Amino acid sequence: MAAVLLSKSERAYIQSSLKATPPLRADGRGLLDFRTVLLETGVAPLANGSARLNIGKMAREGGGGTEIVAAAKLEVEDVESGDGVDGGRVACSVTCSPAAYPHLSSNALDELQHDLSVILQQTIGHPSLHPRNLTIIPRKKSWLLNLDAVVLADAGNVVDALFMAARAALWDAKVPRTRAVQYRAPEALKSAKNDVPGAMDVDEGTSGFDTRDMARTAADFELPDYWDEGETLDGREKWPVCVTLNLLTPRHFLDATPAEEASVPQRLHLMFSFVPSAPPTLQAMRLLGPEELDLKDLKESIAFGEQYAKELFTALETKLREEDNRRNIKARDRFALMR
Amino acid sequence: MAQSNFDRRRINGPEESFQPTFEDDDDRETRWKPGNPRIGRGARDIRPIFLTAGLINQANGSAYIETEKTKIACAVYGPRQSKSTTYNEKGRLNVEVKFSPFSCTRRRVPIRDAEDRSVAVQIQQALVPAVRLELLPKSTIDIFITIIENDGIEGCIAAGSVAASAALADAGIEMLGLVASCSAAVVGKEIWLDPTEEEGKASSGTLILAGMPALGTITSVWQSGSMTPADGIKCMEACQERYTDIHAVIAQSLLDNAQNNT
Repeated sequence: MAAVLLSKSERAYIQSSLKATPPLRADGRGLLDFRTVLLETGVAPLANGSARLNIGKMAREGGGGTEIVAAAKLEVEDVESGDGVDGGRVACSVTCSPAAYPHLSSNALDELQHDLSVILQQTIGHPSLHPRNLTIIPRKKSWLLNLDAVVLADAGNVVDALFMAARAALWDAKVPRTRAVQYRAPEALKSAKNDVPGAMDVDEGTSGFDTRDMARTAADFELPDYWDEGETLDGREKWPVCVTLNLLTPRHFLDATPAEEASVPQRLHLMFSFVPSAPPTLQAMRLLGPEELDLKDLKESIAFGEQYAKELFTALETKLREEDNRRNIKARDRFALMR
Repeated sequence: MAQSNFDRRRINGPEESFQPTFEDDDDRETRWKPGNPRIGRGARDIRPIFLTAGLINQANGSAYIETEKTKIACAVYGPRQSKSTTYNEKGRLNVEVKFSPFSCTRRRVPIRDAEDRSVAVQIQQALVPAVRLELLPKSTIDIFITIIENDGIEGCIAAGSVAASAALADAGIEMLGLVASCSAAVVGKEIWLDPTEEEGKASSGTLILAGMPALGTITSVWQSGSMTPADGIKCMEACQERYTDIHAVIAQSLLDNAQNNT
């Protein structure tokens, strides 16, 4: 992604060691091994859902790795007069911290974050994944779901990390409960008017100035105060995970470091969604790099990608449920003990 | 539109503007409903292509493509010396896409906006593997694509790649093969090739495939929306089969242009 300066001989060295039998990687991993992935949800107290993800943190050195913070924040939009769309919108953005890319000019950085935003928006914001509970009042008010990710450090494989962080943040997101409010003329006023003897003859119901009947439908909403922050986003199992296959025909490998990324001519991003009751679906696919590929190889790569994505998905799912458990049930128990 | 790209040297549109609301089509009965076959053409048919090379005289190479309501002009300048002082062993392929303000139902501000770049990136990805940039050190090839009318972004990207590839050939730039591109959409259980804007909206997922039919290789795959991997593969096979025909169209238009000029 971000072009790391790498000499020709370094590149050839990395390529030939990846192609050797058995393949060798600088950090001793196998071709299909991921680095350690660390995940924590609920890191941004002001967001409706958030997650912090790290791939490849060095256990002993206390740092390193690709670091991403993603947060989902909901905003009320007016459908009639504002930008809102009936049923809600999803808007994704990615910001790359200049600290993560000291070698890039500000222009190149802008382009990079734009490209990452586009891939996130096109995948997460696609109508086929749209959560159904973003409506507040039909045809009047809806939620705008902002998903913002910040790349704090890049040690390779940003796209996979980005999608994992996005999935975790959206998984964690809670939509506040709302109650519709409607305006009604006070009952007492109506009856008092009718009781007055010899009142002015007004033909009821036909007056053009009587707006009482018009405002019967919900006009606004309020947020009831409740012990939890709301309900989870609809269809949160559907959010996809991404696996990036770095193609070095006839081999491919996962979770590349920046040096490996720079020495591989082509990569394939595959985003899969695994809904428990349905067969896995492909949510997005991108082929990048100045090389060409056969359809046969591409088909094989997709089949392999599905397999890897499934494993990644299962691991992420386990972790997310564990996080839910930690933050809800365990936290409640601890609170009860303290009292 | 975003106030940040406000250009005071230009006559800007009114502060607030709304896209026209068209009267609901009278052909409501003829509108497509789920379960029905595709209207107007077969599921695997593409829109007829009009492609001509050599439209813009001042450019080294150019092409114009029209597929029903998609109209795109493309010009190629170069290879010319790179402006940057850094040494580049390989040439650079620079693609710039511009939507004309009147190309969509909603007016697009004349200033560069976000979609331009994502379309340009995709077209560049489709072309880069084909162009022999290793023969052109220190130089840049500029491709300028103007979208005059847009009917579905998928078709636009595919047609843009086709036009750019024809323009590159017209400019006499060495390539491994002509790049052809085709889009597909999964609508219900069917696969429709070359979807229009409306068909794209009705679909659950879309795919754009670009490649060199002469070599049988793929240069770019772009897929969005949900489809099963099997459907994705079916889409790719259908696209690959169809863009072989598009390849013949490009070859014919280049031949016509060459014969007219001599």
